[in-house]
Amino acid sequence: MTVLELQQVTKTFGSGRTKVEALKETNFRANKKELIAIIGPSGSGKSTFLTIVGGLLSPTSGEVILNGKTISGMVERERSQVRLGEIGFVLQASNLVPFLTVDKQMKLLDQVKKGNMDNKELKQLYDDLGIEELRKKYPADLSGGERQRVAIAKALYTNPSIILADEPTASLDSDRAYEVMELLKHETKSKETTTIVVTHDIRLTEYCDKVYKMTDGILTLEGNGDE
Amino acid sequence: MFLAWNEIIKNKLRFTLITGVLLLVAYLVFFLSGLATGLKNLNREAVDNWKADAVVLTEESDKSLYQSSLTIDQAQEVKADETAILGQMSAIANNGDKKTNVSLFGIRSDEFLMPAISEGDPFSADKEVVADASLKEDGFKIGDELSISSTDIKLKIVGFMESSRFNASPVLYMDLDTLNRVKYGEAVEANEDRINAVVIRGQEPEKAVSDNSLEVIETETFIKNLPGYTEQNLTLTFMIYFLFIISSVIVAIFLYVLTVQKISMFGVMKAQGISSFYLSRSVIAQTFLLAFVGVAFGLVLALATGAFLPAAVPVSFDIPTMLIYGGILVVVAIAGAVFSVLTIVRIDPLKAIGG
Ligand SMILES: Nc1ncnc2c1ncn2[C@@H]1O[C@H](COP(=O)(O)OP(=O)(O)O)[C@@H](O)[C@H]1O
Ligand SMILES: [Mg+2]
Repeated sequence: MTVLELQQVTKTFGSGRTKVEALKETNFRANKKELIAIIGPSGSGKSTFLTIVGGLLSPTSGEVILNGKTISGMVERERSQVRLGEIGFVLQASNLVPFLTVDKQMKLLDQVKKGNMDNKELKQLYDDLGIEELRKKYPADLSGGERQRVAIAKALYTNPSIILADEPTASLDSDRAYEVMELLKHETKSKETTTIVVTHDIRLTEYCDKVYKMTDGILTLEGNGDE
Repeated sequence: MFLAWNEIIKNKLRFTLITGVLLLVAYLVFFLSGLATGLKNLNREAVDNWKADAVVLTEESDKSLYQSSLTIDQAQEVKADETAILGQMSAIANNGDKKTNVSLFGIRSDEFLMPAISEGDPFSADKEVVADASLKEDGFKIGDELSISSTDIKLKIVGFMESSRFNASPVLYMDLDTLNRVKYGEAVEANEDRINAVVIRGQEPEKAVSDNSLEVIETETFIKNLPGYTEQNLTLTFMIYFLFIISSVIVAIFLYVLTVQKISMFGVMKAQGISSFYLSRSVIAQTFLLAFVGVAFGLVLALATGAFLPAAVPVSFDIPTMLIYGGILVVVAIAGAVFSVLTIVRIDPLKAIGG
């Protein structure tokens, strides 16, 4: 089942001499329960791709369709709603609120959105991520790996239909990085979501169902694990 | 409120400090407003006690009771529901022990200017006076013989009325005859029907006189024209308004610094889809909380200080005025949050998550 579709999407920054074609005409499709990796060198357009998919950036041309809704034409207020309701972000930098405990990071989301996980589901999520004992701690008291796992919990808590992770393992050593990928894979399968992970670490692609490569704004399918 | 409250809990010291600053500003505002009210009372208490609608003075006196001089004949032409004549003179009274500035009011005991007696008897005979209660605190008592500057006549205190000061001096009420004898000395015969004003009660007081040399002045205007009254008020009011601006600026700077520190955090939240509206509301709720607590404590502290002040300090708290000022302080603090709100609205979530 198709969750996300990009039709002839392009993104150009600037104009004239400073013009950068960050994303050349791209067609892309992602299905439910898929864990997709996008690899590529720095400056190739990976983040541009992800922010367009995530409704943070409007494409120069083409359409982005998420769960049947064309988000590329929406104004910021509508896109903000889509992000809150349907997208879970796991970012390179910590996306935790420094003055909230792990539990309250989730409660904050209850303040702004309905239909999040119930207590039982949250407990299960904490167990899956191994952060149950961190519930009362503040971000400053967590290690980098713990923080990243809490960030994943936060992304999953709102029951998004798609999870977008931009270099989620960048600040972690390789053992931790594998753990995080393992978790993303597990959550993608058990929660029936779609996950797109941007990374420049080729070793992490072994966890993924599909691997795309980004070179100079051109996206190509590299490997297709399942088929 | 969730975000606002949790941030305060986590950063208690920071928020206690800003609340403390607001408390001090609020305290100062309340104290100055108390001083303003106290000084106002010092000037107008006696006039307020008259419960009059207007005062008739001579046109050429330029609204000054001291400069106005008319005759009882002229007073008889003044038409109003109720009228009362008033003679006035400023002097120094001395009971042999203490000296004080006083305002002598000469009236007729059967007219409405006759004060209610709270202690002792009303004046009746010659040379008897009823004194302002505040003189009791200065050591004056019933039976005191007062020598008055510029005359040999001695006045005797026979009673006290409620606190009644005029233009910063305690008032002594007496019969017009007594006053004129003190005032004119040997020349009293020629001046026995001289008065300073006619005080009136009634609707449409401006229609009370037909005589062109007389002017009807509404009570409030009369008070505003007391020497020093308006200047004093303006000074204190200006200081209070200035404090409003200061507290707004303090809050604005504090919140702005906090907000700038949190730009990337807000950006991440916005990327997640949390609206600028929610975040702004949180900053405003936080400001409200800080300002409200600071102002409330400032109010309590001001009232507590007031209770311990010696009577000589002219501070008198008018609770409705204080509540209005407190409300204004909270509102200007919230206005100070506007810069932070603008900053939040302008944050680009894309920048926060980086490329
Ligand atoms: N806001 C922007 N303005 C101008 N150029 C940009 C902007 N964002 C990205 N680019 C350019 O687009 C290209 C792709 O960037 P990006 O998507 O961040 O690459 P990656 O994430 O793969 O490192 C780069 O050449 C970058 O300089
Ligand atoms: Mg990037």
